[in-house]
Amino acid sequence: MKRVMYVILILVLVLGLLKACIRRDIPDTNTEKAVTTREQKIIFPEDRKTVTIKGADYLESQAPIGKFGGTFTASTIGEGPKTFNPFNSKDNISSAMSEIMYDGLLTTHPVTGQPIPKLAKSFSISENGKEYTINLRHGIKWSDGKPITADDVVFTWRDIILAGLGNTSIRDSIVIDGKLPTVHKIDDYTVKFVTPEPFAPFIRMLSSPIAPKHIFEPAVKKGAQYFETFLSTNTKPKDLVISGAFKLKEYVPAQRVVYERNPNYYIINKNGDKLPYLDRLVYLIVGDLNNEVLKFEAKELDTINLQGSKVARYKAMEPHSDFTIHNLGPNTGTIYLAMNLNNRKNNDGKFYVPPKKQAWFNDINFRKAVDYAVDRKNIVLNIANGIGEPLFTAESLNSIFLNTNLKPYDKDLNKSRELLKKSGFYWDKQGRLYDKFNNRVEFDMLTNAGNTEREAIGVMIKQDLEDLGMKVNFKPIEFNSLVNKLVNTLHWDMVIMGFTGSPLEPNGGKNVMMSDGTLHVYNMRLEKDKNSPRYDFEKKIDEMFIKGALATKFEDRKKYYDEYQKIIYDEKPFVYIYSPTVIVAIRDKFKNIFPTSLGGVTYNIEEIYICESPEKCYSELISESKNQ
Amino acid sequence: MEILKYIFKRILQTIPLLIIVSLISFFIIRLSPVDPLAELRLNPSVSKETLEKETQRLGLDKPIIIQYGKWAKSFIKGDLGITSNGEQVSTKLKERIPNTLLLTVVVIFLTWAAGIPLGILAALKWKTPFDRILTVLTSVGMAIPSFFFAVLLLIFAVRTGWFPVGGLTSANFADMGFFSQVKDIAHHLFLPVIVLFTISLAGLQRQMRANMLDVLDSDYVKFARAKGLNEFKVVYKHALRNAVNPLITLLGFEFAGLLSGAALTEYVFQYPGLGRLILEAVLKSDINLVMASLMMGAIMLILGNLIADILLIITDPRIRVKS
Repeated sequence: MKRVMYVILILVLVLGLLKACIRRDIPDTNTEKAVTTREQKIIFPEDRKTVTIKGADYLESQAPIGKFGGTFTASTIGEGPKTFNPFNSKDNISSAMSEIMYDGLLTTHPVTGQPIPKLAKSFSISENGKEYTINLRHGIKWSDGKPITADDVVFTWRDIILAGLGNTSIRDSIVIDGKLPTVHKIDDYTVKFVTPEPFAPFIRMLSSPIAPKHIFEPAVKKGAQYFETFLSTNTKPKDLVISGAFKLKEYVPAQRVVYERNPNYYIINKNGDKLPYLDRLVYLIVGDLNNEVLKFEAKELDTINLQGSKVARYKAMEPHSDFTIHNLGPNTGTIYLAMNLNNRKNNDGKFYVPPKKQAWFNDINFRKAVDYAVDRKNIVLNIANGIGEPLFTAESLNSIFLNTNLKPYDKDLNKSRELLKKSGFYWDKQGRLYDKFNNRVEFDMLTNAGNTEREAIGVMIKQDLEDLGMKVNFKPIEFNSLVNKLVNTLHWDMVIMGFTGSPLEPNGGKNVMMSDGTLHVYNMRLEKDKNSPRYDFEKKIDEMFIKGALATKFEDRKKYYDEYQKIIYDEKPFVYIYSPTVIVAIRDKFKNIFPTSLGGVTYNIEEIYICESPEKCYSELISESKNQ
Repeated sequence: MEILKYIFKRILQTIPLLIIVSLISFFIIRLSPVDPLAELRLNPSVSKETLEKETQRLGLDKPIIIQYGKWAKSFIKGDLGITSNGEQVSTKLKERIPNTLLLTVVVIFLTWAAGIPLGILAALKWKTPFDRILTVLTSVGMAIPSFFFAVLLLIFAVRTGWFPVGGLTSANFADMGFFSQVKDIAHHLFLPVIVLFTISLAGLQRQMRANMLDVLDSDYVKFARAKGLNEFKVVYKHALRNAVNPLITLLGFEFAGLLSGAALTEYVFQYPGLGRLILEAVLKSDINLVMASLMMGAIMLILGNLIADILLIITDPRIRVKS
């Protein structure tokens, strides 16, 4: 009897616990359509312009005037910044965290993607496309009150970037035939850059941060070794001298980075008050996506990037919540399927790819058959929950260089079969595919284990290809060993991976696209094979990239990059699958939010202000303007 | 004098042990297929020159045995080296050690302060409803995985809004007065402490109860009772002293767990402690950081055992006679 009582007691306890965990799911009343269409009509403010007040050239924001004060809390996933030196950062988080504090000469127009002046007052490019003249603003200051002049710009470029200190990726990307651009001081407020050849991608590099000479010079003089540790995360915030909207206030490892407003900032509102409006900008360092979601729901975060699977639930919550969801369109990520087109031998005299497989992968009909068999729409619907766009081009969908003439198409197994037949493939009675030498078509398909999205894509593509009678051994393997296979041992058949590109500059992808690139995945050439013969289409792509970089006018460049996308579209060394869509939720109390695909949500962080209730803060603003 | 000699001998014994531990761990990490530069290699904008520079900087171009020799040499000199991001390992550890210590010390203090009395009480009230209920509760405490329990509590925090979702301090911590700072930390510590407390309390209480029951059943306790000593003296003077011996060994292990025992809970609660740092280091094969933490773990374990043994010599005359 007693025992029964205990059993019941325990059961009740357990049931109580379980009940506490159960939450009724909100029914999915919203279809994916409703989420993915961009229903918000955003009225963008006019472009900023320079106004001169008492000899100082300020940049005037044209956004509605807001209220000062408040904090904006965002998050960053991972370990947090490794350095606050923008020239040392080797990872995205460190770059983002340091670039908040250091403005570049130019920036990118958030809507059109064209370069526009920021720290510079204006810029011009000479007729021959080799000289860039930058006029600086008079009377603007570093956060310690010293003026920002041509000396700072020349120092930053000559002694840090071109000298190869810290992270050399900018320097590496502007070497033309082994020659570097040069920088010259014309007067205190004019700087001229000269590139050895006309080189269009250079203009994007001018948005690199500018360092204060009087702070960085002693560190540079101590040599490269010291520079690596300069402005590390152990630096006292007060030792930082900055030009950006916000200045570091506190860094608490593994918890948060806190910034406070820079009172000397050079962007002003239409009243002539110095921005930013916010007092503080906080980035919480969270370990993973789940924690980020919890923190947003607990109102510790003001904004969050939503993953595909969460969008439907958030969309259902949106009408009776204090946040708005913005659809920023496809991101710069491209998820692709690549086949190993390598036809060379390794050091032991063996082929990297067995000859029978080489024959398949090097057959354009085979590649096209695979391409037509992939059901992109279904993948987007099932894996990205509809939050993505099928992809057919090498440039991402939000790229300003996207070739819009390359039309999407649907899965078409009949076409695939036709193409295979043309190349002599045949099926036996069980529907298994054989090539004309009677080899069963069987190969491995790899992706990195742990990335659930890619694993799911792999399963779907395996099914699609098995409809064609191919035998696909799908093997998700550990990320590091996968990379090793892709770039060192080169022993693989097919792979599903993703790249992130730049929506503004296709030249950034030259390491992938050009035949001697360090990441030329589908036909990777090791050091010893650098001079091996190229396929015709590889030669053509190389040519387009060289011409595209040297052309100066956007229209000319677009022609070359359109052509390269067309070659990839026709030759299918990469079978592109889809681009995820960026969906961001942000609390309603933040105003002056003008999301764009290129800039995101907080590119205009200095213009963003807080208004808890519309009636209240508008009346306050009106009374304030009356007082003035 | 005897004790000093004993300690000295023990410390000498640890040296070959540490060498073996370090050798095994170093080779296992380096032989695993984790490439510390994999992330960089897959970044289209990273040039070959950068990759070569990084390989040289991390010493990956040299044979493993030379890498080990280099590491061991600087370790003996007391230099823990730099992380793969170029930060000093010692500063990284110094940032995190106080946080982890704060959490584990609070937990150990609470579990011992609660576990010992509860264990004694349960033994004295053997087979009464009080004992039974405690047994059920500690069973639940032992059975529930810390990871799962922590997630449940996090959801609780989100739904009710009573507790912060992870972390150690609030964003405006630096501007608070001293007392609000203490309050803020306590507020953040509450949930992780609850998780660790529930789990280690269960073990400790049961251990104490079992020991106490053993001792209460022994002849000399029966004799003491028969002699007519009052119950208080029987329990707290004669029985308790004997029952507490095995717990001293346990204390040695607790000491070893001071810096590494809470990794999982730390991870779920995003607690800025050592656990998270080291997990991330292992995933990236950040050799110096991983080695430093492994060596620290080994040394703490050896030290914990040594302390326990010394304490045992002091409390238990029988061991003194034997040695």
